[in-house]
Amino acid sequence: MILLQSHSRFLLQTLLNRTQNLEKGVELDHHWVEFDDVRYHIQVSMKNPHVFLLSVSLPTPSSETIFVCGLPFGAIEAIKAAYGNLVQILDPPRDGFNLTLKINLSKLPSNQEQKHAFLVKVASVREVVLGAPLRVVFQHLAARTVAPDMDPVVALVHRPNESFFLFPQADKVTVVYPMRFNDSIDTVLATSFLQEFVEARRTAGLNNTPPCSWSLTSPLELKGVPSDSLSANAGFVTFVIFPRHVEGQKLDRTVWSLSTFHAYVRYHVKCSEGFMHSRMRRRVESLIQALDRAKPDLEKKISNNRSFKRLSLKDSRTNSFS
Amino acid sequence: MDPSTSRPAVVIDNGSGYSKMGFAGNVEPCFIVPTVVAINESFLNQSRTSSKGNWVAQHNAGVMADLDFFIGDDALSKSRSSSTYNLSYPIRHGQVENWDAMERFWQQCIFNYLRCDPEDHYFLLTESPLTSPESREYTGEIMFETFNVPGLYIAVNSVLALAAGYTTSKCEMTGVVVDVGDGAAHVVPVADGYVIGSSIKSIPISGKDVTLFVQQLMRERGENVPPEDSFEVARKVKEMYCYTSSDIVKEFNKHDKEPAKYIKHWRGIKPKTGAPYSCDIGYERFLGPEIFFNPEIYSSDFTTPLPVVIDKCIQSAPIDTRRSLYKNIVLSGGSTMFKDFHRRLQRDIKKIVDARVLLSEARLNGEIKSQPVEVNVLSHPIQRFAVWFGGSVLASTPEFFTACHTKAEYEEYGASICRTNPVFKGMY
Amino acid sequence: MANTLRLYLTCIRNTLEAAMCLQNFPCQEVERHNKPEVELKSSPELLLNPVLICRNEAEKCLIETSINSLRISLKVKQADELENILTKKFLRFLSMRAEAFQVLRRKPVQGYDISFLITNYHCEEMQKHKLIDFIVQFMEDIDKEISELKMSVNTRGRLVATEFLKQFI
Repeated sequence: MILLQSHSRFLLQTLLNRTQNLEKGVELDHHWVEFDDVRYHIQVSMKNPHVFLLSVSLPTPSSETIFVCGLPFGAIEAIKAAYGNLVQILDPPRDGFNLTLKINLSKLPSNQEQKHAFLVKVASVREVVLGAPLRVVFQHLAARTVAPDMDPVVALVHRPNESFFLFPQADKVTVVYPMRFNDSIDTVLATSFLQEFVEARRTAGLNNTPPCSWSLTSPLELKGVPSDSLSANAGFVTFVIFPRHVEGQKLDRTVWSLSTFHAYVRYHVKCSEGFMHSRMRRRVESLIQALDRAKPDLEKKISNNRSFKRLSLKDSRTNSFS
Repeated sequence: MDPSTSRPAVVIDNGSGYSKMGFAGNVEPCFIVPTVVAINESFLNQSRTSSKGNWVAQHNAGVMADLDFFIGDDALSKSRSSSTYNLSYPIRHGQVENWDAMERFWQQCIFNYLRCDPEDHYFLLTESPLTSPESREYTGEIMFETFNVPGLYIAVNSVLALAAGYTTSKCEMTGVVVDVGDGAAHVVPVADGYVIGSSIKSIPISGKDVTLFVQQLMRERGENVPPEDSFEVARKVKEMYCYTSSDIVKEFNKHDKEPAKYIKHWRGIKPKTGAPYSCDIGYERFLGPEIFFNPEIYSSDFTTPLPVVIDKCIQSAPIDTRRSLYKNIVLSGGSTMFKDFHRRLQRDIKKIVDARVLLSEARLNGEIKSQPVEVNVLSHPIQRFAVWFGGSVLASTPEFFTACHTKAEYEEYGASICRTNPVFKGMY
Repeated sequence: MANTLRLYLTCIRNTLEAAMCLQNFPCQEVERHNKPEVELKSSPELLLNPVLICRNEAEKCLIETSINSLRISLKVKQADELENILTKKFLRFLSMRAEAFQVLRRKPVQGYDISFLITNYHCEEMQKHKLIDFIVQFMEDIDKEISELKMSVNTRGRLVATEFLKQFI
C-alpha cells in the first residue's frame, strides 16, 4: 500500500484472466495510461486468441537522454533476458508506441507457479524497459567496474521531458533527481518530505541504506548539464548507491525504487493532502459543536416554560415544599 | 495546449454496491470492485499526541492508520481474516455519506488500481440525480485540492446510461432510465439530455433487498448455510442463478414437476472451520427478482410494482415527451441483469398503457382512434456498467474537455463551479 | 509561550465582551432593509473605533464594531512556508463550510486570514458569552490544528522516507 508495486495491476489481471479462459475467443482491445505517461495497449483478436499483443509507449525523453531505436539503452537485451523466447519483439512497433511484444499464451510454462511468475514479469514490463539502463550501470557496480563506453553523466528519462542523472564510478553510483511539481502546495509539502528523507537516513536502523542529501541548488556534479533541465522547484535529491545495495536479489528492487522515486514522492504528497482533509473534517465538526453549544438548547426552553407554569397553585405548592 | 487533453480521461462510476473505473475510449472498465473500505482503527485509538521522539514506536504500531487500509475485494477478505479492520461503505443509497472513506477509496482507485497520476488526466465522475449541490462541491474540493486534477466533470448517471446507447443505435437523449443498483433504485426521465427533476421516482427496493429476500427465503427453508456467510452466499446466488419469470404460479409448477432441472446446488466452505457444506437453491431463483413486480411478497410498506412506478413517472412528465419516453426505456445497473427482466417489464408496462388507451377510446365511444403507444424496454449486454460505458463514450469526445471545469476555474471561482455541469454537445 | 497566548486570548475575550452590545438597527437609506453597518460603513455615526490587538507582528486580531454588527478578523501565525500553506488550506476549507458556521464570513477582510461577522440576530439566538467562548476556542483550535498538521506532515514524511529506504536493506 505504501510502496508502488512494479507490476501493472490491470495488465496482470487481464493476463491471468486470458490464460484461464484460453479457449474462449474474446476480442480484446484496451488502452490505458499509467503514472509518468507510460501508455499501454493490449490487443487479442477473435481469430488468434492465443496471441497477446502488448504495446508500451514511454515518456518522451528530454534532449539529454539517449534512446536507441526508440528505447533506452540496454532495453532489448533486458527484455530478452527477462522473458526469453516466450516473447517476441515486433519490429516496427505499433504506431505511436515504442515497443510491441507478442506473447503466445498457449506456450507458457505449465507449472502454475512458474506461469504466474512469468505473467507478473510481463506485467512489470515498464520496470524491465525503463529500468534497463539502471540495471546495466548497477551490474557493473556490483562487479566494481565502470562500463567502458559509458559517459561520466548518464541522463535517464523518468517523466515526460524530464530526466534524472547517474554518475557511475567503480565503487559507487551517485543518483541525482531534480524534483519538479506543478502546484505550489505540492512543492512545499514535497520539500518538507524530502528533508525527512535526509533525517530518516540518520536513524540507527537505516545506516546501511544509501546516503541521501537534499539541496535547493543543483549539486556540483551536474555542472555540465544544460541549465533548462535543471530547473527544479523542490530542490535536488541525491542518493549514493554502493555495491551492497545492488547485490543479487536486491538489484530488481533497487532499480524499481530508483526509477519511480519521483512518482513515489508525488503519490505520498497527494495522500497526505487527503489525510489533512480528513483531519480538517473532524476539526470542523468539533468547531460546529462548539458553536451549537452557544445556542440555548431545547431542554432549557422546556424548563423556561415550566417557570411560567409555576404560577399555578399546584405547582407553586410543590415548589415551596422542595 | 494542455497535454492532459491528449491522454484519455479517467472515468469512475461510484455506485453504492460496486465502483467501475477505467479510461475513456475503452469498451470495458478496467476494474469493477465493491465500494467498500477496510480501515484499521486500532491506531486511531492510541493517543495521537505521543511525542515526536518515539516515532519509531508509532511506526511499528501500524504505519499510520490512514495508510493502512484496503478497498474493494481486498477489503472484504481482510476484514474477514483479521479483526483489526472495520468495513465502511462510503456510499449509501447512491449518496456519499462518509467523505473520509470516499476520499481514501478514490485515492486507492487512482494510485493503486488505475496507477495513474491524477494530474495527468481529466476526470469524469458520476452522481445520482438526487445528489445535493453541496455534495458536488465536496467532490470538487477533493478532486481539485487533494488530487490536483486538471479538469473535472460530474455527470448524472442516468444521462450516461442513455448515452451508452450511443453506439448501439442512433443516440437518443430522450428516454426513461430505470436504474436499479445495489443501494438505490430510481426511475429517471430525461429529455434531450436534461433530467426532468420533478418526475423522478425512487423506489425503496434495490439489489440489496433482493439479496436480503433470497437470504430470508433460504434461512426459512432451513438451508445449511453458516450464518456469518449467509449474506455473501445469498448475493452469489442472486448474481448467478436468479431469473425473472413470466408468471409465478406457472413457475412454481415447473419447479415442482421437474425439481432436478430447476433446483441448483451451492457448495461452499465454512469460513471458521473450513468444513465444506452444500445447500439447495429453489424457488428463490425466481422469487428474488419478483419483488420488483410484486413488492408485497417482500415488504408491506411499499407495494407499488416497478412497472406502475415507471408508468406514473412517464405520466407525470410533460405531455409532449411522453410518447418518446415510452419508446425508449433503458435499463441500467447490476440489478436489472436478471434474465428476461426487460421482457417482463415491457409486457407489464404495455398492459398498463393499452388498458389506458382502451379506456379513453371507450370514453370517446370509438369516435377517435388514437395511435397505439409504442413501448420499448431496451436491454444490452453492457447493462451492468452502462453508466460507465456512457461516461467512457462521452469523455472521449473532444467536446468533453471544453465542458469540464478546469483547475484554473476552480482556483478562480472556488468549489461552487462544480454545482452545475453543462450538458454538452457530444451528448446528442 | 503558553502564557502569552493566554494573555492574548484574555485580552480578546474582554474586548469582545465589551464590544458585543448590539441592537437591532434598520438601515437608514433603504426602507425595510436591515444591513450590518460594519460592512456598509456608510454612516460614521454608527461606527465605533476599531480595536487592534497584536500579540506580535504575525498574530493580530482586529475588532470592528458598529451599532448592529461586529466584525472580528484574525491573522494567524505563519512561521514558515509549510505553516503558510497549511493555514491557507485549512482556512479555505473552513470558508467552504461557512454556511454551517453562521457567524463565519465567506471572505476574510483584506490583510487577514479569516473573519467573523456577528450581527444582533446572532446575539439574539445564541448566548453571548458562549459565542465569545466559541471565538476564543476557534482561535486556540486553529493554532493547535496548524501545528498538529505540520507535525503530521513531518511524521508522515519520515514514515514514507523510512519505508522507501528500508527497501535497500
